[in-house]
Amino acid sequence: MSEEATTVRRLGRVERLPTRRIVLTALSLGVGAAVAYGSYRTLTLPAGARYSGSAWRDFLVLGIAQGAVYALIALGYTLVYGILRMINFAHGEVFMAGAFGSFFFADAWKESGFLDRRPLLAVLLLVLIAMAVSVTVAVLLERIAYRPLRGAPRLVPLITAIGASLFLQNTFRGLFGAQTRGYPKPRVLEGTWSILGIPVQRVQVIVLVVAGVALIALTLVVARTKTGKAMRAAAQDQEIASLMGIDVDRVIVTTFVVGGMLAGIAGVLFALTFGNISYFMGFAPGITAFTAAVLGGIGSIAGAAVGGLIIGVLQSVGPALLLTGIHVPSPFQLKDVVTFLILILVLLFRPGGILGTGEAEKV
Amino acid sequence: MRGALRPGARAGLVGGAVLVYLALVGMLVKFEELRLVGSQVTRGRLLLVLPPFAASFFAVRPRVIGGRVEQPGPGVALALGAVAGALVGAVGSVGLALVEAIGVERIRPVFVAVSPALVETLTFGRGAAAGAAILVVGGAALGAAGGIWRAIRHGLRRPVEVGLLTVVTLAMLQRIVPFMLDELRLERDWLYSRATRGLTWTGAVVVLVVATAAAAYVLDRRERRALAPAAEGRPEVRGWRRTALVTIAVVLAAALPQLAGSIVSEIMGTVGVFLLLALGLNIVTGYAGMLHLGFSAFFLIGAYAVALLTGANLVTAFGLVAPRFSADLNFYLALVLVVAIGAAVGALVAAPVLRLRGDYLAIVTLAFAQIAVILATSSWLQPITGGPQGLRDVTKAPLLGLEFRSAERFYYLVLAFCVLAVFVSWRLAWSRVGRAWNAMREDEQVADAMGVPTGRYKMLGFAIGGAIGALGGALFAVKVGTVQPGSFEIIQSITVLAVVILGGLGSVPGVVLGALVLLALPGLLSQLEEFRFLIYGAVLVAIMILRPQGLIPNVRRMRELREEERTQDAWQQIFAARQEREAAEEAAEAAP
Amino acid sequence: MEDRRPVLELRGVFTHYGLVSVLRDVNVEIYPGEMVCLLGGNASGKTTTLKTILGYVTPSQGEVLLDGEVVSGLPTREIVRRGVSMVPENRRLFPDMTVLENLELGAYLRTDRRKVAEDLERVLELFPRVRERLKQKAGTLSGGEQQMVAMGRALMADPKVLLMDEPSMGLAPVLVEQVFEIIRTIRGLGRTVFVVEQNANMALSIADRGYVLQTGQIVLADTAENLLNNPLMREAYLGEL
Repeated sequence: MSEEATTVRRLGRVERLPTRRIVLTALSLGVGAAVAYGSYRTLTLPAGARYSGSAWRDFLVLGIAQGAVYALIALGYTLVYGILRMINFAHGEVFMAGAFGSFFFADAWKESGFLDRRPLLAVLLLVLIAMAVSVTVAVLLERIAYRPLRGAPRLVPLITAIGASLFLQNTFRGLFGAQTRGYPKPRVLEGTWSILGIPVQRVQVIVLVVAGVALIALTLVVARTKTGKAMRAAAQDQEIASLMGIDVDRVIVTTFVVGGMLAGIAGVLFALTFGNISYFMGFAPGITAFTAAVLGGIGSIAGAAVGGLIIGVLQSVGPALLLTGIHVPSPFQLKDVVTFLILILVLLFRPGGILGTGEAEKV
Repeated sequence: MRGALRPGARAGLVGGAVLVYLALVGMLVKFEELRLVGSQVTRGRLLLVLPPFAASFFAVRPRVIGGRVEQPGPGVALALGAVAGALVGAVGSVGLALVEAIGVERIRPVFVAVSPALVETLTFGRGAAAGAAILVVGGAALGAAGGIWRAIRHGLRRPVEVGLLTVVTLAMLQRIVPFMLDELRLERDWLYSRATRGLTWTGAVVVLVVATAAAAYVLDRRERRALAPAAEGRPEVRGWRRTALVTIAVVLAAALPQLAGSIVSEIMGTVGVFLLLALGLNIVTGYAGMLHLGFSAFFLIGAYAVALLTGANLVTAFGLVAPRFSADLNFYLALVLVVAIGAAVGALVAAPVLRLRGDYLAIVTLAFAQIAVILATSSWLQPITGGPQGLRDVTKAPLLGLEFRSAERFYYLVLAFCVLAVFVSWRLAWSRVGRAWNAMREDEQVADAMGVPTGRYKMLGFAIGGAIGALGGALFAVKVGTVQPGSFEIIQSITVLAVVILGGLGSVPGVVLGALVLLALPGLLSQLEEFRFLIYGAVLVAIMILRPQGLIPNVRRMRELREEERTQDAWQQIFAARQEREAAEEAAEAAP
Repeated sequence: MEDRRPVLELRGVFTHYGLVSVLRDVNVEIYPGEMVCLLGGNASGKTTTLKTILGYVTPSQGEVLLDGEVVSGLPTREIVRRGVSMVPENRRLFPDMTVLENLELGAYLRTDRRKVAEDLERVLELFPRVRERLKQKAGTLSGGEQQMVAMGRALMADPKVLLMDEPSMGLAPVLVEQVFEIIRTIRGLGRTVFVVEQNANMALSIADRGYVLQTGQIVLADTAENLLNNPLMREAYLGEL
């Protein structure tokens, strides 16, 4: 082989650019430019074609409210991931189960008038029922599908979780029927309340209050109580946690219980907000909430909350802001595209999320 | 004694829960109508019989305790089995009592499957009290039988199991097999009754005996061969046998439309399309070891690409319109492009995310697939994709004056491509690329360190998988004649995944079997359709827990998924992976 | 000493992983206030012995006794509650929790708050450097400090027997010296300690007695001094150091 050829080859190697870096940079510039351009065009639309200030405010409030629901679901993903390092793909179905379970009571109470007579008590009871149903499903899921797979290669529990998700969806379909049902709302919750001078949908106020209370309660439990400490310890090192006398099996079940409770709450809030439930309702919110968890940094409780709010707002504001200006018809059809793009972009640029550590990339 | 009966009680309660589940989810009633053998054995009753039998079968399974395998003796097995079976019946009876107490009509608005017909099935039409008694007593008897069954020596048990399975399968295939026998001008009345459509009792017994004997013979030979020292010249015999098997399979496959008629051809055409997808996924997930949850995206891309390239039309309020972009190519020319597009999309989409860990990669693929479906449905791309209505008038794939829309012709078209894909898969597995994938799958870091350009091989995996998947999509479009986004939802990805997982990751024969079981059977067995996805979900969970290597394992792949034998101790389960490693080390040390 | 009851005793213990036999007829006795070491090479069954004591592995034959009561077959937390704690190999602190939280987790099962507070004070007196780091994340400490926290965490359980799994594993020689200094300190408190070690020289230099485990069986059991002088020992373990 001639010397020249060797030199050429060596040169070739030196000059080969870090493709990944270039692709990522180009991509981030492209995304940035597209977002800027889309927003600019939307905001400079001629008056009349433009959204009014109050429209944006409504988008924002809706975004925060649905973001709070996503946050509650996202916590379930984050807690389970923290302790088992598995994506509990069936968590969306745990959420659906709660909404479904409470539906029959809500329906009956609407008939009997209880829902309108004592709306606060009724909603509280519905939340409790939904929590119970979701917790049952979550615990069964752990016991039957996940526990036999502890320590198995990572993809095995994920595939199991996907199977479980499909199974649960179709179980609910078989048990309760395939049709979409209207979830009744207490009459008091129709219309708006004025908060700081801003009219806000009453349901959204309830959603924010309940979700906020649940989030604070969870944070306190995890930070202050012995159970919370055990959960954190088991998430960091199961074996050593057990050496401290922590019953790791029970901690794992507790984690599923807590995740289930939050999902149950989310189920009722979601059903009240959107008014419909079906056996398939868990899929989209589930994957959206997973995105929120990843965005916030999976394993981090604060991250799940922050991620949920961001995703919620982006879903409600994003399509209008980015797409209206460039004349995409019915931009809200594409709100899930926003979610999925965020998921992909986060994993590309900051796999650890906003508040997390770099878990998603392999070492 | 109480402690000894505990496994029975546990299994019984679980079995009872399963029975109640089957009833509430609607399977018992929906299955009732089909008569399998004579007029007595219906599919619903078979399903009713299974829980107590299976519960006791599990209750008396052998356990590893203190380094020894402990198998309950026949007496214990009988007692345990009876307890388990009776409990299953008892749980069912409690359920019945509740239904009686509350009233069917009040439960029905919630649990839609609770109906007079269900109560009828569960009580055998004899009223609640008698029904409950039958459930408990019958359960105990079945449970005892199940217990004894487990105690029988494996060599005796297995052939009979195969025999029974054959009978049930033939009985379930009552819409297909008699038709085939007629086509072959074979006498069939001794086997299938014209009145009940199911098997006759004589037929069932004959099939049972013949199948059992055959199974006994085959299993016995296989066992002996496994025990015998490796004889010389066997590889050629095996090679010859494989050739013969493949030839028979191909001939059978080729003759199927003639034998079985157009319903079967129609079903098998769909199976073929999904088999293509599964073979593509098998390359990405089975060979290269990357879980792909969005494989339906390739399906979608292939279908839309072929529709647009061959001059399909949009459905609009103003009638049929040509899409914004379209060409009018010959199908086979378009196919080349479609395959190239599939490969390119597969590789490009994968490129930036290859560094992600397996589970995240999987979710990203899912995200991409969802984006594809949403875009295809959206009003934004409606001028190209047709939105929710999609495209119609897809080419009939004309070749030398023949068109391939009819069920039989399409079957041959897809068969040809399946054979091609199987061949490619096979060659790939044993090629340089296949070896690189193996190394990568088993330990990516080691492979990297040994100089395998893992990134490039991953892209290659995605590209080839994508190409095959897009091919499947293109053929699907030809088969249906229209392309609609609803056909490409995530459920299709999971279906394909279930096919590959059930058959065995990385195993081509396994994938073929998986496609037949999960796609052909529901098509052929009437009334299964409604529970298809329920069953897929259950299959995914069950396979991962009980037999992660699949029905026909890929030998090389087995090692990765298999875990140490599961132990009863909960703690050992938690640290199973670590202990396995240590046990292996210590065992190696302990061995003389 | 012989007339006293052992704190911890393994009596004819056999264990299996599935069908693979690991420990065979292991007999170990540890008396109050003693420091005993278990020596053995890789994969000799040392870790399994510890796991058996802690209840991760149930003996297929034989039993483990703590203070004369059979504890084999009990769940780990019950055994920990009854007074066994361990300093794991490689320290294994909870890296994202504070030093204080790590120490508190050591007393997870204890309910006597006042006594726990006293013990915490005592541990901090023993390791003054740890006191300065109480609010810091454990993962940010130096290797030596982490070792102190790990020891302190185990002491917080106020154990009857303190197990140590390979305290010198993977440490630089200077640190090894430091670690054994800490062990000596703990020994000075009159604690009963059972150390599992590969570093036979070091372990025997501070222990009262030692057992030698080989392929799952105890092949030697003697006082530390005798073991140090045992020709077989010298050849098999000490010579190569």
